[in-house]
Amino acid sequence: MNRVSFRALFPLLLFLLIPLTGCGGGSSTATDETPKIAVIISNLNNPWFVVLGDAAKERASELGYDVVVFDSQDDSAKEAAHFDNVIASGYAAVLLNPTDADGSIANVRRAKEAGVPVFCMDREINATDAAVSQILSDNYSGCVALGQYFVKQMGESGKYVELLGLVGDNNTWNRSKGFHSVVDRYPDLKMVAQQSADFSREKAFDAMETILQANPDIDAVFCGNDTMAMGAHRALVAAEKDQQVKVFGFDGADEVVKSIAEGKILATAMQFPKLIARTAAESADRYLDGDRDFR
Amino acid sequence: MTIGAAAAVGTAALLYCFPLFHVVSLDQAEQSSAAAEFDPVAFVEKFWTDQLIPGAAQATDAAELLAIVKENPEAARQAHGRSVGLGHVYYYFVAGSGRIVSVEKNRVGLSLRDGHEKAQVSLEAGNIFGNAVRDGTGLLDVNDFANSRDFNALSAEINGRIERHVLPTLRDNAAVGKTVRFVGCAEIMDEQTDLDPLPIVPFIVEMP
Repeated sequence: MNRVSFRALFPLLLFLLIPLTGCGGGSSTATDETPKIAVIISNLNNPWFVVLGDAAKERASELGYDVVVFDSQDDSAKEAAHFDNVIASGYAAVLLNPTDADGSIANVRRAKEAGVPVFCMDREINATDAAVSQILSDNYSGCVALGQYFVKQMGESGKYVELLGLVGDNNTWNRSKGFHSVVDRYPDLKMVAQQSADFSREKAFDAMETILQANPDIDAVFCGNDTMAMGAHRALVAAEKDQQVKVFGFDGADEVVKSIAEGKILATAMQFPKLIARTAAESADRYLDGDRDFR
Repeated sequence: MTIGAAAAVGTAALLYCFPLFHVVSLDQAEQSSAAAEFDPVAFVEKFWTDQLIPGAAQATDAAELLAIVKENPEAARQAHGRSVGLGHVYYYFVAGSGRIVSVEKNRVGLSLRDGHEKAQVSLEAGNIFGNAVRDGTGLLDVNDFANSRDFNALSAEINGRIERHVLPTLRDNAAVGKTVRFVGCAEIMDEQTDLDPLPIVPFIVEMP
């Protein structure tokens, strides 16, 4: 993780003048006496993460904390900068949606060493001695169920494409492996292309456009999240193949639920970001109250 | 103090508070590499022999469990059920013996009581999915694994082992009227719909 660039940009004189206030987007309701909680979200361009961040902020505020939301923009370096800010500014706890399962570990450990507990939301880090708790959906089981539905809808045969999420996110691989644990048992279901679109709507659109040129006769596309499903569907509409190709997503985002009701996207798997966020906020409150049992 | 000295002091202070690198302990580095090296096949091989099979004695009698669940689902959950995380799915570790009353492509129906012709439990005999055996016995704890990928790999390997080593006995020998002794795990999400019959993923099947 390269933190030198941030350090190089940080003017010397500013160090002598500050401590830092919240930066990177979002609102705060700070007063000097109230303990502060930081909500650090991987990418607020994704509506699902906006729900996660808003729910965390709302619950933490209800519990009596001043809350600032930070956007890491899927950049581990930006996330590191947020942690620098949080540690220096005396935040009591961090509700973190990590950018990378390995890349975020050092940030969480730094916070822990500084006495700032971290509670991971939706995504995990590959360390069990850093965060106080990690709350995530059972993505594998969700995609086992989705895979079973996929097989049924496809009639056990056909060509499909898979669009993966961020390769540094364990959720990407849990979803893919859960899906393939079912679908790969059916030899007449053939994956003709698999590509990462980083959970991005725009990248999924571009990937789908490109893939369709080489594979114009596909029957389905499985996307590792709903944002990519929307992007892929838009590409299919543009290619006039939306009636021919079944689209499957994951998240249960409002826009995809609406699309399913309209007969466009075929299916998604529901997640509950508000429950995850609320649980993280309540865990932080319990921890700050002295509770240490989070197993 | 000259400007140069002040800048030097400021730089030193900045680098002290925001170091360019961190030294991590060997334990931390090893934990990261250990996570990358998890071998689910070797783990399940040892788990199966050392814990799962010997642990069969802890299973609840299937007929007794069914009676309790039907009478008081909440009491059954409290006394015998296991739930992982915040979900509403409960797993049960069960054992029993029954007479085969139906044989289908992917399941074998058993009556647990004499004279009962309807299947009260069904042993899964096709592709095994889900986490029933991983989570149902209580012998494995998610907190003992580096991450969810490793924990999920366990389910895949346990299920695969059941398909390869346990189910052939059931599939090859099942016939109406025969007796089967089983040990396995059941998943119940809804007591209204999941009990008629109760599906069980068996990891021990004996047909005398």
